[in-house]
Amino acid sequence: MDLLFFQMAIALYVCAAVAYLVFLILPEGKRVNVAFGLMLAGFITHILSIFHRALFSGYFPLTTLFDAVSLFSLLIVGAFLIFRYHEPSPIFGAITAPLAAVLMIFGTTLSYQIQQPVVPILRSWWLPIHVLLALIGNGIFASMAIAGLMYMIQERLIKSKKIGRLYRMLPSLETLDAINRRGLPLGFFFLTLGIISGALWAGSAWGSYWSWDPKETWSLITWFVYAAMVHQRLVLGWRGRKAAIFAIAGFVLVMFTFVGVSAFLGGYHSFSGVESFRGMPRL
Amino acid sequence: MSVSIVVIGLNHSTAPVQIREKITFQGDPNGSATKSFANNPGVSELMILSTCNRVEIIAIYDGNQSTENELIDRIASYHQLDRENFDDYLYIKRDSDAVRHVFRVASSLDSMILGEPQILGQVKDGYRKASEAATTGPILNRLMHRGFFSAKRVRTETNVGAAAVSVAYVAVELAKKILGDLQDKSVLLIGAGEMAELAAKHLISQVVKPLTVVNRTYENACVLASQLDGSAVPMNELEQALTTADVVITSTGSCDPIICSPNMRNVMKVRRYRPIFLIDIAIPRDVEPAVHDIDGVYLYNIDDLQSVASDNLGERKIEALRGERIVEEEVSKFMNWTETLDSTPTIIALREKLEQIRTSELARLNGKLAKLNTDERDLVDQVTRSIINKIVHDPISFLKQSGKNAKRTDYLDVTQKLFNLYDTNTPAAGENEISDQ
Repeated sequence: MDLLFFQMAIALYVCAAVAYLVFLILPEGKRVNVAFGLMLAGFITHILSIFHRALFSGYFPLTTLFDAVSLFSLLIVGAFLIFRYHEPSPIFGAITAPLAAVLMIFGTTLSYQIQQPVVPILRSWWLPIHVLLALIGNGIFASMAIAGLMYMIQERLIKSKKIGRLYRMLPSLETLDAINRRGLPLGFFFLTLGIISGALWAGSAWGSYWSWDPKETWSLITWFVYAAMVHQRLVLGWRGRKAAIFAIAGFVLVMFTFVGVSAFLGGYHSFSGVESFRGMPRL
Repeated sequence: MSVSIVVIGLNHSTAPVQIREKITFQGDPNGSATKSFANNPGVSELMILSTCNRVEIIAIYDGNQSTENELIDRIASYHQLDRENFDDYLYIKRDSDAVRHVFRVASSLDSMILGEPQILGQVKDGYRKASEAATTGPILNRLMHRGFFSAKRVRTETNVGAAAVSVAYVAVELAKKILGDLQDKSVLLIGAGEMAELAAKHLISQVVKPLTVVNRTYENACVLASQLDGSAVPMNELEQALTTADVVITSTGSCDPIICSPNMRNVMKVRRYRPIFLIDIAIPRDVEPAVHDIDGVYLYNIDDLQSVASDNLGERKIEALRGERIVEEEVSKFMNWTETLDSTPTIIALREKLEQIRTSELARLNGKLAKLNTDERDLVDQVTRSIINKIVHDPISFLKQSGKNAKRTDYLDVTQKLFNLYDTNTPAAGENEISDQ
């Protein structure tokens, strides 16, 4: 029962993904609206599931990796729903819907039990602030990576002169590069705020702003990589394919920092859901 | 009474251009030609479709061959031609063939360039003229609306109009896919020949910035530039011009390439790898093929564009087959509707007869009803009305539903006899009362 809304949201995202993929094979028609409707229904159900969990636990549900993954996919879907008004190409849906579905299904493999009582440090306003800032940054980097992937495909199609349906469906190179151009400073901004807010939280909780915990270290590495990207783009004028490759590589690093570090390297950022398959005690 | 529809016409596949240019109604803005054709006593509704590729007369008529002949004679006299001149090029399509033809034309499945979008507007134009001339009626109205609906379905449910099939459109589409919105992009023409002008025309209509022309003979560049509201640049400033341009069309008669890999690499460095789209329509080629391998450079020559265009045409042909199926569905829906038409006069007559009985009976009892107050009289009126409605409901829906029943004429006959419908003064309900849903 406690996962009912969450599972409904997964089902709706999966249906939306199927509808979008069917759309890619069949020609234009009403199916896009159907897929969009499913996506929107999934989004609403997803919000309900988070509210439901908040009521259930009595505070903002962000203490487990399960919750972080759930909120992250919610942000991606939300970004897609907003972005759709600027670029209605259904191919964005065909990428976002499966991505959200896969992330959520991954979420169900994690333990979603909330440990009671919750560790006092997590009962702080810093929790939602820090996590939201970090996740918004991640969401922007995810969009840039998706656009980068589409850029690589579209570029290859045009260079190899394969002018077919996929070419017509994909947005223009300029649009895809613009996502990178505008997303990069914005994502970098949120990543920086995420790291600073984390440091401030640590400072207020433990008196030490930085303690080289694996997550902190990897966040810093990610920050330097994106800082380099900003430099290349703004100063050296990198664009197009190079920027796209960079966005994809950067996002791989982001995902490792987000999920991988907790699972493999531990540290006090380990979400309470992960220890079940690591067998290590958390803070 | 059954509906007869005829299409008499000729088009690009049946008639050569010498005939098509003689038989045209395009100089008929006030619809007087439509009126004069509709005056034929055998014709009840009529419209004329006239484009550069086809002329068609679409009519609802009595189904007699003599009426068709009169219409053809009128085409001849209208254009002061002998009928023998064009008789061989004409096609005459009747009833479901006519409906299918109209739907295919509106859906652009019968066009010279398959899937081109203009034809629907031209059909609407002809229809508008006819309705202004008051030569349309319920059947033509419905035929046209179903035709527009079929066209919309074919357009949205298939890709028949999706891909560009002319070199100029393919080039513009590519430019948009590479550079996004073209409004603020700049165009550079290298070579001042007629080819450059032709190729650029469609592209120029998409951009706001004035274009630049580079040519070996500077005077010719100036001439073309002034024609196209652009500026001219001498050949030795080519590299400079390349650094600011977004779309370049080359069409010089030069035997050696004008743009080579090394100088293009320099240009791209100066441009900071801002993408550039090169269209090489010259033979021999003006741009070294290796230029295409440079990051941010997209080079298409005339053969590339041509092969994209013909691939796209092949795709349209496949999509057109799916369009034909949609048209077929719509034709059979329309034909079903025409069959229900012959029950309509009987149904109207039946309703009118019963209403007549009701009002006359009420009038007869007027004296006795006078005692009642207004509310009660309204109630009596309401009750009698609803009794009538309840009684006729089943027979009427039975008559409507027996649309495809072979015995329907028998049923109609029985209904008419049972209620003695055509002995009274009931008018044989005119077509004007057939609702056009």
